Amino acid sequence: MPAGRYRSRTLRRVYKRTPGNKVKLVYKKRKPSKAQCAGCGSDLKGTFRGRVPVMMNLPKTKKRPERPYGGVLCSRCARRKIILASRQ
Amino acid sequence: MIEIGRLCVKIAGRDSGLKCVVVDDLGKGFVLIDGQTRRRKCNMMHLEPLNEILKIKKNASHDEVVKELKKLKIEVVEKKGKKKKTEKPVKQRKKKEAPAKEEAPAKGAKEKTAAKKEAPKKKQEKKKSK
Ligand SMILES: [Zn+2]
Repeated sequence: MPAGRYRSRTLRRVYKRTPGNKVKLVYKKRKPSKAQCAGCGSDLKGTFRGRVPVMMNLPKTKKRPERPYGGVLCSRCARRKIILASRQ
Repeated sequence: MIEIGRLCVKIAGRDSGLKCVVVDDLGKGFVLIDGQTRRRKCNMMHLEPLNEILKIKKNASHDEVVKELKKLKIEVVEKKGKKKKTEKPVKQRKKKEAPAKEEAPAKGAKEKTAAKKEAPKKKQEKKKSK
């Protein structure tokens, strides 16, 4: 029976092989949810999902697209916004 | 709709939101653009045409496009190229006994030459003794 704090499925379970050639169960935190578009709420593409220590070591260009509103709006919403602004 | 000299806004990619001018028609729905964006081939679907048309020739150079854009008060910011890395200053060690070091090899050389000079003398002496 695992310890009480490990009995819910809050943490994900990973099997790892130890240096002593045993397989052990390790509990790890889950990935955060996908980034959403601020305009339409759809999942953003080209954005990285990861815990903070992983994200810290990644370059900026791997975490969001290299366009205005990248990582905030989806390409469709960003395009619409730019077109509307140009017509005014 | 999109002809040479047409002012456009790029609506896709890294340069989206920037203004540009159509410089050449490449066919199959592609055009060559220049201006605030990089000078590059571009899909017409990724351009939003504006009302203005600039008076430029086909395949006009970047400088000509910038001049025409200035008349419409559209500033083009030139990106500075990467600076060449300057070499780091190398720390030079303090020369403590510089003169002594210079003397040392000279002495050795002298000794060697002396030894060489002595050697034949000895041989001669030996020869004499014989
Ligand atoms: Zn959206």
